[in-house]
Amino acid sequence: MPGPFEYILWFLCTPFEVAALVCAFKRKALRRYFFLNLYVAASLVASLGRFQILHHYGLNSSAYVYFYYYSDALLTICLYFALTSLYSYVFHELKAERYVSLVAFSLLVGTAIFSYSVVQQSSGKFATHFVVELSQNLYFVGLVLTYLLWASILKMRETRTRVIQLVLSLGVYFSLFAATYALRNLYPPMSSLLQALPPLIACFLPMAWAYAFWHLPEEARLVPARLAVVPR
Amino acid sequence: MSRKLTVVFLAMLVLVGAMSLKTVVVTHGDGSVIMANGGGPVPPTPWKNGGGPVPPTPWKNGGGPVPPTPWK
Repeated sequence: MPGPFEYILWFLCTPFEVAALVCAFKRKALRRYFFLNLYVAASLVASLGRFQILHHYGLNSSAYVYFYYYSDALLTICLYFALTSLYSYVFHELKAERYVSLVAFSLLVGTAIFSYSVVQQSSGKFATHFVVELSQNLYFVGLVLTYLLWASILKMRETRTRVIQLVLSLGVYFSLFAATYALRNLYPPMSSLLQALPPLIACFLPMAWAYAFWHLPEEARLVPARLAVVPR
Repeated sequence: MSRKLTVVFLAMLVLVGAMSLKTVVVTHGDGSVIMANGGGPVPPTPWKNGGGPVPPTPWKNGGGPVPPTPWK
């Protein structure tokens, strides 16, 4: 069972998730950024559910194991849709939402097929293997898509401050997790130190989104030169 | 039709890029996927041979301690 320090780190994130939802509601951004808020709400519910199951059944129970991994996969899919919705906002003026949806759907199906091909020879618990594999593959797809969206924002000289803030924070969030994991593999002696980082990184996204909803009005614009100048 | 094919091609390109990145990130690990382990010796994951400790997942969504893999 986790100690008090782990519990504190775990539930440090919860107030930020609540804050992100409240800020979105107060600033009337709940429906406009529906998938982002859906992800935050789902993350909040998953945290509470995990705590409840952990408290009742214990860390090694099947109930907790299955709830943890399946809820993780669902959250990754929610995050994928949140990212897709950000693509829709950025490409809205090009009237390319249809193509964005098609790419997102193709990518999801492609990732599912790839994950299936990876785990199809597993001997048992095929569904669980598939869910975990899909979750991690979708994570890396999200990482690449976020970098592509960063590049698109620079190229198209996107000026909506709130959208830029939401996309940048998502990119930082994905990158920090990947970097922490890679560092832990590269420097195993530091792994105990690096293990404390993921719960802190998990707090970053709702915190950044809460800031974006509360402090940055929908009409706020950045001067393109301050963002970057990329030759067209 | 060709536009739709281009879109699908782009999607596949992103998928290839993502899987390459995943390979780069996990390349210095033991290659096993991702999960923390509970008590007792950890068996190799069903889709990978070789030993070594299993690292926790880097892509945690939400809080909560990571449980052991469900396919022991």
